[in-house]
Amino acid sequence: MLSLFVWLPFLGVLFISLLPLAWVGRSRQIALVLCSVVVVWSLYLVSQFSLADAALQFQESLPWIENLGLSYQLGVDGLSLPLLVMNGVLTWIALYSSDTQINRPKLFYSLVLLLNGAVAGAFLSQNLLLFFLFYELELIPLYLIIAIWGGAKRGYAATKFLIYTAVSGVVILAAFFGLSLLSASGSFDYEIVRIHDLSLATQIVLLVTLLIGFGIKIPIVPLHTWLPDAHVEAPTPASVLLAGVLLKLGTYGMLRFGLGLFPDAWEVLSPWIAAIAVISVLYGSFAAIAQTDMKKIVAYSSVGHMGYVILAAAAATPLSLMGAIAQMISHGLISALLFLLVGVVYAKTGTRDINVLRGLLNPERGLPVVGSLMVVGAMASAGIPGMVGFIAEFIVYRGSLPVFPVQTLLCMVGTGLTAVYFLILINKVFFGRLPESLANLPPVRWRDRIPSVLVAVLVILLGLQPAWMTRWSVAIANSLGLEIPSRTAMNWSIPAAPVKPVPVASQHSKREIEISAPAAPAIDSGSVSGRMLSVR
Amino acid sequence: MVTLVPPHRSHPLADLIEKIQSGGALLPDSPGNVLEVVSILKSYGVVLDAYQRNLTFIAEHQFLVLFPFFKYFNGEVTFSKLLKHWWHDRINYEFAEYCMKAMFWHGAEGLDTYLDSEEFSQRAGAAIRAKLKGNGMMQGLDRLFPEFLPEQVRLLCYYSALGQFWNVMSRMFLNLSDRYDRGEIETIPQVVQHIQDGLVEAAMQPITYAIEIRGECYEIIPESAGLTFLKDTAVPYVEAVFFRSFPFFGTISYNAQAGQISANQADFNYGALFADPLPVGGAGIPPTLLMQDMTHFLPNALRQVYLQELRGEDDLRVKICLSFQKAMFCVTTAAIKGLMPHPIDTTNPEQQQENLAYLEGWMDKLQDSQLLNMQSL
Repeated sequence: MLSLFVWLPFLGVLFISLLPLAWVGRSRQIALVLCSVVVVWSLYLVSQFSLADAALQFQESLPWIENLGLSYQLGVDGLSLPLLVMNGVLTWIALYSSDTQINRPKLFYSLVLLLNGAVAGAFLSQNLLLFFLFYELELIPLYLIIAIWGGAKRGYAATKFLIYTAVSGVVILAAFFGLSLLSASGSFDYEIVRIHDLSLATQIVLLVTLLIGFGIKIPIVPLHTWLPDAHVEAPTPASVLLAGVLLKLGTYGMLRFGLGLFPDAWEVLSPWIAAIAVISVLYGSFAAIAQTDMKKIVAYSSVGHMGYVILAAAAATPLSLMGAIAQMISHGLISALLFLLVGVVYAKTGTRDINVLRGLLNPERGLPVVGSLMVVGAMASAGIPGMVGFIAEFIVYRGSLPVFPVQTLLCMVGTGLTAVYFLILINKVFFGRLPESLANLPPVRWRDRIPSVLVAVLVILLGLQPAWMTRWSVAIANSLGLEIPSRTAMNWSIPAAPVKPVPVASQHSKREIEISAPAAPAIDSGSVSGRMLSVR
Repeated sequence: MVTLVPPHRSHPLADLIEKIQSGGALLPDSPGNVLEVVSILKSYGVVLDAYQRNLTFIAEHQFLVLFPFFKYFNGEVTFSKLLKHWWHDRINYEFAEYCMKAMFWHGAEGLDTYLDSEEFSQRAGAAIRAKLKGNGMMQGLDRLFPEFLPEQVRLLCYYSALGQFWNVMSRMFLNLSDRYDRGEIETIPQVVQHIQDGLVEAAMQPITYAIEIRGECYEIIPESAGLTFLKDTAVPYVEAVFFRSFPFFGTISYNAQAGQISANQADFNYGALFADPLPVGGAGIPPTLLMQDMTHFLPNALRQVYLQELRGEDDLRVKICLSFQKAMFCVTTAAIKGLMPHPIDTTNPEQQQENLAYLEGWMDKLQDSQLLNMQSL
């Protein structure tokens, strides 16, 4: 069942590559059809997914190179399922938003499908080496897409992207090898290596290695410098996938392999991780304020907003982890929306400079629908209630505040700063009088608008009905989450009060909470690792 | 050979002054401009005809109706028309009222003099008394606020006057289109001449206003008042609507009755000749309503020209606004020529000097208008 997410896109790559010349024009439609099948299949998977089960579901296993410890093991849980669905949806959006007259269409659409399959493989892999293979595989198509269809400095941006993320892969591989060798299991099977008795010091070393590796991908400050360059030079579909899906590989890896494999070390390092989150949020926000390129503003906004995921991961309470997953989805959709809109603005005006653009909300000769959607995207990003950004950030803050009150409050400043830089952007680009230089823009077709309209609908829909986004993660958030009563603000204020398990999500229906309750970790006085083992 | 006194070369619009002196127009002459101007004036003529019918209906049949809910229905109130009204697929008669109120606001010298006269008071008083007969509530209102109803009648006089002005203009524009179709109009100066001839022909047409109450006719503005088409409607209309208009509602507030409206034209530059076609509805009388009305009656040839441009139907109202401004500069040229103190080809140096001063006065007023932008379109 899960293999289809990997192999159908790969077969699509093969099929499109072998298309005769006369059929080259159909490669876009073929890619869209295959991606539609993937989306429908992911929705079917969602319908079959058991909400109460925190363990991996729909597992598939095949031995591959046993001597290396490499096996083909796939599985999905509440952490990977939303990301898997988002990967399909955003790939479809990216394909649809691509230029119909793009050069070398066979290669382009093959690479997008390859990217989709590799990312799906990474989300589904339950073998560390298999994850690494897919993690590295996705670099190739993205590097080529930026290098071939990118902007003027595409060579520089693509190479920088490749160097950074390849280093990220090597560092992650080193941590995986270290874990496998030091734990004496000799295995790369996730279920086997997570049961280890490594010393805390060793765990910390391995965790720091992993955090650097995934930190480059997320990216965290100061390992972020590849991202704005890559975004600025990448074509719109690549920016959508990069911000919407690929950055999530970093946070997914951090939660799955960092928190999942080294919970004791995580607890020790979590204040530092929270500090990094604060730095990322504030640096990303202030840097965004200083930019004049619309795409760079959205790119630095991404750096800031991924910081919320890191904060929630650092807190690692069941609620904050659910917030982290929600924030991954929220950021994926909102940044995809913003990049799509910036792409349309650039395609129609030939510039992204906020000091050149003006008055684009003009109802007759501007880009009024695009401008209105940009306002929606900015509101969502700034956490205005009724949109997915508010839900995700609220859960993140609510889940993190008891553990890291100061860091959470500082991150909240980032939400305010989001409003600052997006209001600057909207005010400069969309309000005012349309200058003569922009008074004869080419028409905006509905084809240009449909991708962003679809994403905007999702942004609002999930803001009004958040359970559709969060219900899948309740069980896994309970399972992965750490209870750290000694650090909660509530305990500071009422030291003697007995600490109850934090309700998973008050916004869920009573039935969902009841369903998820058996999967919640039993809290005892033992070590966190002990708790983790007792749950599973 | 006629030798014209040259304008001061320091005048920023000296070239345009020379152009008018030599029989040209403010708008450059080109086949494209002729097509645009004639076609837009045809659709404008249709819309103006609808406007003038409604203004006349309100003046004559909504006399002192304080809550005229169905004033835009021209006496035909049906459910289907009501639905159409709510659906908003209709002529925006509001625009006509905005123009009328702009005239009322800035005033028309001759008309205002009459409306402040004793004769008007008596005639309006008689009509008011006839209208209020048997209506105790309205009579009480009239006693409490004796200036209220006469002021309403003054307003209705403007409704009627503008209706009469537009009646002439709409026929003139439709006639222009017919002549163009017959091949009689080929250049912009010919367009200007057609309008000028129409204005001159109707110049002395009397402006009158009478209403019928219970079968009896009440003359509010009799012919004997001496109000005429050109002096008392055309000129004030051009001044109020082309040059001044009023600031966007809500940005500034003046009390017209207290004489707070500045007589200085430089204090207002919101009129049709100044309106920025891009931020539609940004200032002055909302031009979008007129442009929207004209979209329904665009001649096919002009629509095809618009569709060939980059945004096609998307910016139709902006294109109509640009064409409309071109047309209004032709009307302005006709007005300038029609109101010249002396014949344009006079050989008398003194008269030439007066003509020049007159033209420079107009150009001073037009300096900040869209005139210069029109030269490159």
